[in-house]
Amino acid sequence: MQDAGYKIKSRIVHHVSCIVYLETMILILIKPKILSVKNSISTKVVLRRLPFIAIGLGFWFLFYIGTLKVLSYVREIIFFGEILSRKLFSMTFFSLFGFLILSSIITAISSFYLSKDTQLLLSKPVKIRDILRLKAFDAFTNSSWMVLSFMPPVFIAYGVSYGAGAGYYLMIFGCFFLFSLITAGIGIAITHILTRLFPAKRTRNVFLGIGVVLFLLLYFLIKGLIPQDISTPEGLINSIMSFKTESPILPSYWITEAVFPILKESSFNIFYPIILLGSALFFIFLSEIAGLWFYRKNIERIQPSGERVERGFFRRYYPEINTALFYKDIKTFFRDAGQWSQVIIIGALIMIYVYNFKSIPVNALSGFSFIREIMVLVNLVLSGLVLSAVSARFIYASVSLEGQAFWIIRTSPIVIRKFLWSKFLYGFIPVTTLMLVLVFLTNLAMNAGGILMYISLGTVLMLCVSVSGLGTGFGAIYPKFKYENIASVSMSLGGMAFMLIAFSVVIATLSLETWIFYVYFLKEVTGTSEKLQIATSIIGIVLINAGAFYFPMRIGEKKLREETGII
Amino acid sequence: MIILDNISKSFNNTQAVKDISLTVNTGEIFGIVGPNGAGKTTTIKMMTGLLTPDEGNILLGKYDIVKEPIKAKSILGYVPDKAFLYEKLTAREFLIFISSIYGIPKSEALSRIDEMLELFGIKDVEDELIESFSQGMRQRLLFASALIHRPEALLIDEPFMGLDPFGVKMLKGVIKDLSSKGVTIFLATHSLHIAEELCNRVGFINKGSIISIKTRDEISEVKGGLEGLFMEIGN
Repeated sequence: MQDAGYKIKSRIVHHVSCIVYLETMILILIKPKILSVKNSISTKVVLRRLPFIAIGLGFWFLFYIGTLKVLSYVREIIFFGEILSRKLFSMTFFSLFGFLILSSIITAISSFYLSKDTQLLLSKPVKIRDILRLKAFDAFTNSSWMVLSFMPPVFIAYGVSYGAGAGYYLMIFGCFFLFSLITAGIGIAITHILTRLFPAKRTRNVFLGIGVVLFLLLYFLIKGLIPQDISTPEGLINSIMSFKTESPILPSYWITEAVFPILKESSFNIFYPIILLGSALFFIFLSEIAGLWFYRKNIERIQPSGERVERGFFRRYYPEINTALFYKDIKTFFRDAGQWSQVIIIGALIMIYVYNFKSIPVNALSGFSFIREIMVLVNLVLSGLVLSAVSARFIYASVSLEGQAFWIIRTSPIVIRKFLWSKFLYGFIPVTTLMLVLVFLTNLAMNAGGILMYISLGTVLMLCVSVSGLGTGFGAIYPKFKYENIASVSMSLGGMAFMLIAFSVVIATLSLETWIFYVYFLKEVTGTSEKLQIATSIIGIVLINAGAFYFPMRIGEKKLREETGII
Repeated sequence: MIILDNISKSFNNTQAVKDISLTVNTGEIFGIVGPNGAGKTTTIKMMTGLLTPDEGNILLGKYDIVKEPIKAKSILGYVPDKAFLYEKLTAREFLIFISSIYGIPKSEALSRIDEMLELFGIKDVEDELIESFSQGMRQRLLFASALIHRPEALLIDEPFMGLDPFGVKMLKGVIKDLSSKGVTIFLATHSLHIAEELCNRVGFINKGSIISIKTRDEISEVKGGLEGLFMEIGN
């Protein structure tokens, strides 16, 4: 009897110690991450990043104002206003659902299978379950931080537009957290299964390919379903309502149902928040089960092997001192899946971009004066946005691409200016080719030939030079040589700041060009005042673009010549 | 060949190197030993141009590394303690890249690459990506890349890291051979027996300062050799 009591007691002690172990172990594993963040934050760092934080907050504010304006416009539409507002909300979460799953898969592959600490953790007396939890935490934070940081302006705009109380904000942030956990769980589970089927380094490519194809199919499907006419409120309503986003089996539906009643202060429904919570727990649990089944074996399969590389077409080519870096970068680009796979995504976005311009009924709108010129201007603004985004990926990140092997450059007899020029050309040539083709095709699609075509191509060429210089210089001023995934470089604070500044250069240039156009065509050039305005605008354009190119390149060169953190 | 003249370096108010003055003659093998954090790597990084001294001058041949970095670097070979390389290049491609940036003409470069690949025993893996290389193979490749342009001075930080006994034996032979051909070698190491075997002179560094410099003969007179001397000075 006493023996049975002892057994029960020891079993209880064992279970309690297991629970304590699990809780303390995951905390121990996460602690280095938290300490790394804590140690990297100092007054000096915060002060240095203050301009970026200010730019980010400014962008946040603009995003908030934009959403609020759209909401006010939509809600004013008689009868349909509220339905449309709700529809926009569910559409946002519908798109986020797909995007976050794709993003979770890509980051989960890096966190679980390509991360540098994996070998260390596996060699320590740590249970696989704990490693899986740590990696899940990594994948979740890395895949959703960007979206999490961009969504609050939208949530706040909805709250302000409806005059919602504190309950709404608690509900939306809580539900959004659960929503992100669901996508992370699904993404991680798919990652383990995909890695079982393909080696990790190829999985990312395979999935990127699949993702892009699905994205394109979905887009053209939606495009085919909706009416093309969005020039009237009826057309717009029909277009938006024809999106089939509200399936009761989708988390985007649950979050809409959970949040909207409280937003309108009509009622509070506990059913959908519970569904979200249950699903989040279920998918996180599912991802852990998939990990327990596959992770160990998957890890063994992805060890690097001594695969021979064919010397190929350029086997006899020997680069000169000025082209050696460029040649090395090109070779590395096509061998590094993390780099070239981004081309697929950008390619897909560009296809959609061109397709959209082809769909614009410019001829039907010919009754409006200067409609073609306005559309060419809109095209240039959008191209500028594409240029900023593409440059962040390929030009801003080009210096950081050297990684921790940058010591080779620093100890070689290479002039840093030459190094920077090589990086400039590495990004400038493909980006400029892409942008010129893009603008040429979209102008053709809108039948905008002649002088309009020449002006647009000339403007884009000038912007490509200045933005490429800005990107190369910025990348040298804020290099990030220690990275897990090169995509993370363009998503860093410096990368985001570059993108916003590059887009500001585009907007400033196009505003001045528009002003010249306005003065030339709409006001008659009669006196010296108009001529002076045109001359000043031209000088302004030249100065902005020359400054955007020159100063970052100079400062970047100086920074790289100085000591950098990695050496 | 190598002259360090009163060099000092601080990081965030911590003095890493303090008033080091030293001359290494042409063809000499000079070793620098000391406990962890003594300032060995910082000294070497200043000599390569990776770090700039706060005070003092460094002359490599007749060139000041700060004032004429390109000329100084062109006569220098460097093997760091951590082998970060371009992972997506093959060994041969990496050596071609290095030859190009040192401006070696094609025909000469190709024959030197073959010679280096053979010498360091990595000919068999010349077309494999560096990412699949072991630590020892990376170390061999690093040496090949540091010698491809026939440097006049070679700076080595922990030369035998990750090498197997065959590799260690081969590398010791290479270092001795280079020295006999007039290449000046400056190496930092924790392997006291290797420093004792290879170096003409050994400098002891602690807390950023050179405490003592001994010739091989002086070391051999001490009981316990270099290890005994290290312990004695350390205490």
